[in-house]
Amino acid sequence: MASASEIINFLKTLVEKNAEEKSISWLNQKVEQVQSSGSNSAFFLAFSQASRFFKKDSLELSETEARQADLLVDGFEPAYWSVLQAARTILLLSYPQEKEKWFAIVNQLFETADMNEQQALFAALPVLPYPEELLPRAIDGCRTNMTLVFDAIALNNPYPAKYFPEANWNQLVLKAVFMQRPLYRIQKLDERRNLALADIASDFAHERWAAGRSVMPELWRLVVPFINDRFLADLKRVIESEDEMAVEAGLLALYQCDSEKAKQLFKSRCEEVMAIEYGEITWEKIGIGFQEKRT
Amino acid sequence: MYIDPHIHLVSRTTDDYEAMRKAGIVATIEPAFWLGQPRTEVGSFKDYFSTLVGWERFRASQFGIVHYCTMGLNSKEANNVALAEQVMELLPLYAGKEGVVAIGEIGYDDQTEAEDRFYRLQLELAKEVNLPVLIHTPHRDKKKGTTRSMDVAEEHGMDPGWVVVDHNNEETVKEVLDRGFYAGFTIYPHTKMGSDRMVEIVKQYGPERIIVNSAADWGISDPLAVPKTANLMRKMGIPEEHVRLTTYQNALTVFGLSGQMNESDWLNAPSIDQTKKLGGNSVLRGGQVPRVEGPADRVEN
Repeated sequence: MASASEIINFLKTLVEKNAEEKSISWLNQKVEQVQSSGSNSAFFLAFSQASRFFKKDSLELSETEARQADLLVDGFEPAYWSVLQAARTILLLSYPQEKEKWFAIVNQLFETADMNEQQALFAALPVLPYPEELLPRAIDGCRTNMTLVFDAIALNNPYPAKYFPEANWNQLVLKAVFMQRPLYRIQKLDERRNLALADIASDFAHERWAAGRSVMPELWRLVVPFINDRFLADLKRVIESEDEMAVEAGLLALYQCDSEKAKQLFKSRCEEVMAIEYGEITWEKIGIGFQEKRT
Repeated sequence: MYIDPHIHLVSRTTDDYEAMRKAGIVATIEPAFWLGQPRTEVGSFKDYFSTLVGWERFRASQFGIVHYCTMGLNSKEANNVALAEQVMELLPLYAGKEGVVAIGEIGYDDQTEAEDRFYRLQLELAKEVNLPVLIHTPHRDKKKGTTRSMDVAEEHGMDPGWVVVDHNNEETVKEVLDRGFYAGFTIYPHTKMGSDRMVEIVKQYGPERIIVNSAADWGISDPLAVPKTANLMRKMGIPEEHVRLTTYQNALTVFGLSGQMNESDWLNAPSIDQTKKLGGNSVLRGGQVPRVEGPADRVEN
């Protein structure tokens, strides 16, 4: 991982393109103050008042900048950040990283943060020092019901896949399903699939079906590597449903299973199989389609 | 469109939120207050303040209502001096946050020495962070307490145009307006004002610097007091512009001085979408059909 100052410099170039001059000079002044004095009250005030200088518009990143971000920190995606988040992260990274003092202020920040401040803090996890020690904080953050805050941890953030133990990872994914968040935006979702999660996903689908409700189509991505008779029966039910998006998801899951029985189920659906082979049906497209449908 | 500039929403149900939105309330201000019984730990204050800028704000947004708050140590709990001192250390952490539109509600309850001390300290804080002040006037010995609140605010150099003196009645209003302060009126059955008395006051004093609120909380109170009073005013022949000033614009003008409250916050707000927030113990439970504004928001849950 790159050093704090490298990340600060990178974020500064992004913020500079996205904010007014007076806001940038305010930020520079505060950064200097925080770095030199280590004054806690000045730091807390600046962190809060950043909202008076920076907007919640998305950061604009060029392709080169997006690649640069990924090189600095594996999986870092500031394209999903607001300008305000970037400004707050710059302030946070400017505070001297002497462990005990640093944790004192960061704990204080987490515990007193408003909604948008929490968003900035949790999204910044992958660029913060002491990532292992921040794990309880990150896990606790997933218990939120504020979508904005949950998304900051769960989506486009490399931290959970890298640090969450399996049980907490599974809770995160399941909660994303429950909150109908776009699963394709969870980093390393495929790599961290596991049988326990696939079982929970299937149980969840049965609960929904029992209540006469539909199931988020992206969910079927979770069962692919663990295909067994139970999941096959689920997927058979899905592809025989009337919901076009669900059918596509079920077929895609079957197609990706390395299983003769699965093949039997989709072999008669030539049209969809061709669409899968041409990349017209993908998990990302299904996820995007589902999110568009529900908003 | 109405603003309820004084309502304790943490104590209200989702039915209230729904009814408020339906009645035309677009924005609310939740002053930090006590909980009906005194807190004994500073952490309780911290979590309460965090709720005001976190969960409650989020909860309101799910019903299409923009939620602001004021931060302060209330006069009742100022009397626990050891605790009050710790709360004073906490306040600067919250005073600068987004959507914090005033320091309040502060002032006097029993008019003790401790209340006086923390009231003055918080007036200084308001000046330091450049925020308006919301004053809670006492229920007992009200008239003298109201005068004293204004004397002390002036002594600390507060501009009366930045100060809302709340919970007025027929006996206090004249002095408050004459001295250039904003006069808040709480429509609260049994103990404070009734809507009919409010109409008479607007008739007599006109709409300038008068603000109607519900102060609805955990007591017998009405979260629709503002729209109901507005309707009564119309029925009693008060001009529409006066209704607008007393139930919307005056509150926006004075609390807008904070720079934290703009009409565009609700005029350009995204349409209500409860569906994107379905969560474990979110306000909507699995199976409920969310109330959404446009067909575009409808979702199969």
